[in-house]
Amino acid sequence: MEALRGVSLAIRRGERVALLGRNGAGKTTFLRIASTLLMPTSGSVRVFGHDVTSDPDSVRPLIAVVPQEGKPFFHLTPREQVYAYLRARGFPRDKARRQTEWAIDQVGLGDVADRLCMTLSGGQKQRTMVATVLATEAPLLFLDEPTIGLDPFARRSVWETLRHLTREGSTILLTTHYLDEAEALSDRLYIVEEGRVLVEGTADELKRQVGGSVRVSVRDGMSLRERLATFGPTVSEDGTVHVVTGPERVTEIVELAMRGGFSATVGPVTLEEAFLRVVGRSIDRD
Amino acid sequence: MLARRWVGTRVFAATEARVQLHDPLAIATSALVEGILIVFVWVLARDLLPYALFGSLVYSAFLIGQIVLSEAAYIRIEHHINELYHASPLSPEAYFLGLASGILLAFLPTTLGLFVLLEIVHPLTLPAFGSLLLILLAVWVFSSSLAYVISTLFKEMKALWSYGSLIVNLLGVPPPVFYPLTLWPEEWRPLAMLIPTSGGAALAEAAAGLQPLTGELVLLGAVSLALEAAAMFLFAVWWSHRSAREA
Repeated sequence: MEALRGVSLAIRRGERVALLGRNGAGKTTFLRIASTLLMPTSGSVRVFGHDVTSDPDSVRPLIAVVPQEGKPFFHLTPREQVYAYLRARGFPRDKARRQTEWAIDQVGLGDVADRLCMTLSGGQKQRTMVATVLATEAPLLFLDEPTIGLDPFARRSVWETLRHLTREGSTILLTTHYLDEAEALSDRLYIVEEGRVLVEGTADELKRQVGGSVRVSVRDGMSLRERLATFGPTVSEDGTVHVVTGPERVTEIVELAMRGGFSATVGPVTLEEAFLRVVGRSIDRD
Repeated sequence: MLARRWVGTRVFAATEARVQLHDPLAIATSALVEGILIVFVWVLARDLLPYALFGSLVYSAFLIGQIVLSEAAYIRIEHHINELYHASPLSPEAYFLGLASGILLAFLPTTLGLFVLLEIVHPLTLPAFGSLLLILLAVWVFSSSLAYVISTLFKEMKALWSYGSLIVNLLGVPPPVFYPLTLWPEEWRPLAMLIPTSGGAALAEAAAGLQPLTGELVLLGAVSLALEAAAMFLFAVWWSHRSAREA
C-alpha cells in the first residue's frame, strides 16, 4: 500500500508546523519517516542537513518524538519517567533533575509527579509523555497527536509550553486532527489527504482561500444548492449545505432558506470550512 | 565508535530494573515453577535434590528470557516506548542490552535464594561456583537475546504469550535440566549437551562433582553453549539495529 505520494514540505528552524488530516491520511507515516522510525521506499528527508535514511545516527540526537498512542512506563512515576529518559539521552544528573522539574511543572503534573503512572488518568499519562519529550529541549520535536485525550485546560497548557519552546528556538512538527489545535498552534500547516499534501499555508491564508469571511449553513438544504451557489462557494455534507460568502449577502441567504422552510446558522469562516473546501469532506468523517 | 554504541545501557538497565522492582509480586512469583519442583523432589526423591537445584538455577536464568520477551513486546506494542527511545541518541543495541540487564538485575533475588539453597544442600568449591556463574551468564545471554528477537516479530500480545511459554517449556522441562543427564540414553546425551539449558545444567553438575561427564561431552557442552550464546547475542545486536526502524 502506498501511504505517501509526492509529499514535499520544508520546515524552517523555530517554526511550529502542523500536519492536519483525517485518520489514515498519511500524517503519522510522514512523521515516522522523518523521525527515523520508518524506512521510506523512495524519496528523501533531511533533518538539519542529515539524511534520515542514510544517516539516522546523526539525526537522532537532534530529535525527540511523542509517538501516537504512546504511554509512559506504568510502573514508573512521571518524575522517574522523565528523569530516566533524559539520563538515557546522556543528560548529566543535575541537568536531568532540573529539566525534569521544569517539564513536570510545564504540563501541570506537580501534584501527581510521584504517583505511579498506572494510577493516573489518560490525560495525565499523555501529559507525562509530552513532558518526557519537552524536557529534552531537542532542536526538533515530533509530536504525533500530542493532546489527544487531554481536557481543554491541559491542551492549552501543552500549547503554551510548545509556544515557549519555539520561542527558545525549538522546531516542532505535529500531527493533529483537531482543527482548533492546528489553528492555535501552528505557524504554518499542511492539509494531508490520502497520502498527498493538498494545500499549505498559514491558517489565515487557508481561510482566505475559501472565498469569503462568513459561513451560512442551511440544514437539509440540498434542494437549494444551485441557488445557494450563486452567493459563493458551497460545500455539502450530510445534507447540510455550507455557503461561504461576504457579510452583505447573509440576510438574503437566510431569507431564502427560511422561505423554503429550512433552518440556517451563521458564523465566521473557520479552518473547518477551509478543510471542507480543500478536502471535500469533514475532518471527522470516515 | 563501537563503545559509543553502548552508552546509555547502564542507565536504561537501571530504568528497566526500577520498572520491574515496582512490581515485587511478579519477582516473588517468578520462581514458582522451580519452587514447586523442588518441593516435589524434596518429598519424593530427596537424593535428586541437588540436581533439581542446579536445574532450577539454569531454568531461572533461562526463564528471564521469557520475561524479556513479554516486557520488550509489551512496551513496544502497548506503550510504544521503543519509539521514544529509538528516536533518540540511545542506540538500539543499548536499548536491547539495557532492557535485558535491567530485568536480570530485578530478578536476581530469586536466583540468589536458589544459590543459598544449593549451598546448603550441595556446597560448591570456588571453581565450581565460578563455572556455575559463567554457565548461568551464557544461558541468560542466549535466552534474553533469543527473546528480544522474537519479541519484535509480533504485533499483538496474545499470540506472543503462547510462543514464549512453548519455547521455555520445550527447552526447559523435557531435556535433562531438573534431573540427571544419566537418565537419558547414552546415544542421546550429546543432543542434550547441545541444548543450552540441559547442556548448562550438566556442565554445572559436572563442575560441582555431582555427575561425571566424559571429556568429549564437557567439550561439546562448553563449546556449544559458548557459541550459541555468542552467536545469538551478536544476532540480537544486529537485529535490534535492523528492527529499530520499520521497513
